[in-house]
Amino acid sequence: MTSGKDLSERALGALLLAPAAALLLVIVVYPIATLFWNSLHAVDNANPAAGETFVAFANYARAFDDERFWRSTWNTVLYVVVTVPGALVVGLALALLANLPFRIKWPVRLGLLLPWALPLVFAGLIFRWFFEYRTGVVNDWLGRLGVEPLQWLSSPTLAFIAISIAIVWKASSFMALILLAGLQTIPRSLYEAAEVDGATRWQQFWEITLPMLAPSIFVALIFRTITAVQTFDIPFAMTGGGPGDSTETLAMYIYKTTLDFLDFGYGSALAALMFLLSLIATSAYLRHTNRA
Amino acid sequence: MKTWKTLTAATIGVVLAASAMGAWAQQTTLRIFTGGQQRPDVMRKIADEYQKRNPNVKVDVEVGGATSEAQQQYLSTVLSSKDSVLDVILIDVIRPAQWAAQGWAEPLDAYLGADKPKILAQYLKAYVDADQVNGKLIALPYFADAQFLYYRKDLLEKYKRPVPKTWDEMMETARIVMEGEKNPQMQGFSTAGAPIEGTVCTYLVPLWGAGSELTKGGKLNLDTPAAREPFQLYGRMKQAGVLPKNIAEIPTDRIRIDMQAGNLLFAMTWSYVWNRLENDADSKVKGKIGVTMLPHDKGGASATCIGGWQLAVSAFSKNKAEAVKFARWLSSPEVSKMQAILASHMPVFPAVFKDSEVLKANPWFADALPVVEGAKSRPVTAQYPQVSDVIRGNMNAYLAGTKTTDVALNDMKSRLAPFLR
Repeated sequence: MTSGKDLSERALGALLLAPAAALLLVIVVYPIATLFWNSLHAVDNANPAAGETFVAFANYARAFDDERFWRSTWNTVLYVVVTVPGALVVGLALALLANLPFRIKWPVRLGLLLPWALPLVFAGLIFRWFFEYRTGVVNDWLGRLGVEPLQWLSSPTLAFIAISIAIVWKASSFMALILLAGLQTIPRSLYEAAEVDGATRWQQFWEITLPMLAPSIFVALIFRTITAVQTFDIPFAMTGGGPGDSTETLAMYIYKTTLDFLDFGYGSALAALMFLLSLIATSAYLRHTNRA
Repeated sequence: MKTWKTLTAATIGVVLAASAMGAWAQQTTLRIFTGGQQRPDVMRKIADEYQKRNPNVKVDVEVGGATSEAQQQYLSTVLSSKDSVLDVILIDVIRPAQWAAQGWAEPLDAYLGADKPKILAQYLKAYVDADQVNGKLIALPYFADAQFLYYRKDLLEKYKRPVPKTWDEMMETARIVMEGEKNPQMQGFSTAGAPIEGTVCTYLVPLWGAGSELTKGGKLNLDTPAAREPFQLYGRMKQAGVLPKNIAEIPTDRIRIDMQAGNLLFAMTWSYVWNRLENDADSKVKGKIGVTMLPHDKGGASATCIGGWQLAVSAFSKNKAEAVKFARWLSSPEVSKMQAILASHMPVFPAVFKDSEVLKANPWFADALPVVEGAKSRPVTAQYPQVSDVIRGNMNAYLAGTKTTDVALNDMKSRLAPFLR
């Protein structure tokens, strides 16, 4: 009797879960499976009417011999290495600032939210104007300081710096939002106790704020790292990958391969490799949080 | 009594609804796609005229990206998914080969029927060639285009310099004018240098001007001394300070903006610029601009890139018959003339170049016809996006100073080889 009841309860449970499972199947599993399946096929672009042929892992082998794949991957790794810590430091500073006991809180909170609410490509366009050679505000400031104007977007190094600044500006507000939420869960009593014990502000930050904030920092880092691996909009709007293809990221190369060159098989293989890169980049954090 | 009234009201209601639905059923909505650079405002005016003459058709104008490749990226997503949302699509002259291979365009031969040879004979030959792929008519010409040398008439007169025939002459004049004007904003010569489609022509024009071709008998032909000439020409211009320092960041419309602000002496650009320079409220150079053939090397001949926009009917349109009818009207001498007057878009019919009203709006069209007739095509291949990416990327890197002539040329050769065997 009890087993029968169990079964019907299980059946009910399965029934209730079915819509969610079906939805996940359609919007997550199906596209991923299609992508992987596509990555095992190739189409002759000169003669697309001939249809797709199964090529097993040839597209992946092609990526390993593709200089442009390695360059765009390297650029992506550089953006991760520079903008993830950059956004963390700036975001933490902003969060600490916003957590100060202001009388009126909303202008500060709004200021934090605005860059995050702005579409990425707008941010890219705005920064492109900032760094424009003749009419940009950055060269205007440099001119006032007596420095010759720089060709920000015509040099691979300067363009990388300009793009990184734009990404850090854009990403740190999201970092700050997560960290601010974390900061507000730290009980005031801890600081009061520390003050009674004679701890300095700096000691309070290192001994209370940072350790208590660690879980929020990890969450923020994972989010930022995944989006950094997918960096697309800001360099797309600022340089279009130029000069040459020296600021091109992996996501931009995938976009070009699929939508410009219509090479869906190779583009899918590159996308699968980018997924692998995300996995590697975030697995380090996950292992750390699992241990903790 | 009351029932009778209700019944009448109901009957009237049903009749009204039915007739409304009948009218609605006859009404066709066509959606035409045009790029932001191809004067969507003028397209709207032309579409309004069509609606007036064809009350059963409503035309929506959808405006896409500013550059040819941004438009194509959007269109690729729409058409790869066989979406029927677009009926008529304005495409760049470089696209028909790819569109034919992908099966995105409805072949128009059957719609023209037996009249096809007669109809096509009226157009400029270059466009009839460009729009037919393997004997199939993929698109109809909308407007013609080519690159010209725009120059400041007033400044050439002031410094008593002739309109330049060679690149060297142009550089010398630019140097003299820039020295004399003492305006730090003044630039000598500008052309597209950003990694965009127009930059392909930035490479090809001096190559052709040196008497060479990108391909010879279908094979890549970059082992000639002439293949180095474009790099060396812009290198010399850069050294002489004639090119803008940020040339590698200049997209097509920036050239027009700089010229319109009075900060540019010479420019290599397309026909739409004329109308903006002469008619825009903020133009500082009204009446001061001349347009002529592009310069060439000493001993060479002037060459230019053929441009222009074509009307394709989507293979996935649900109103193909109406769409073809609309496209054929857009590709008529009448609309060619409207465009020439409203937007300085070059006509696709030789006869319209000689129209007195067209010449009044664009006096330089008098000499432009032979230039368009002699304009050369960018490589014709279904894999044009890949070819374009290699040429513009290397030209851009050279202009930015990140690649030398040798590196840029070698990269170009090795990366073009798979596509232009």
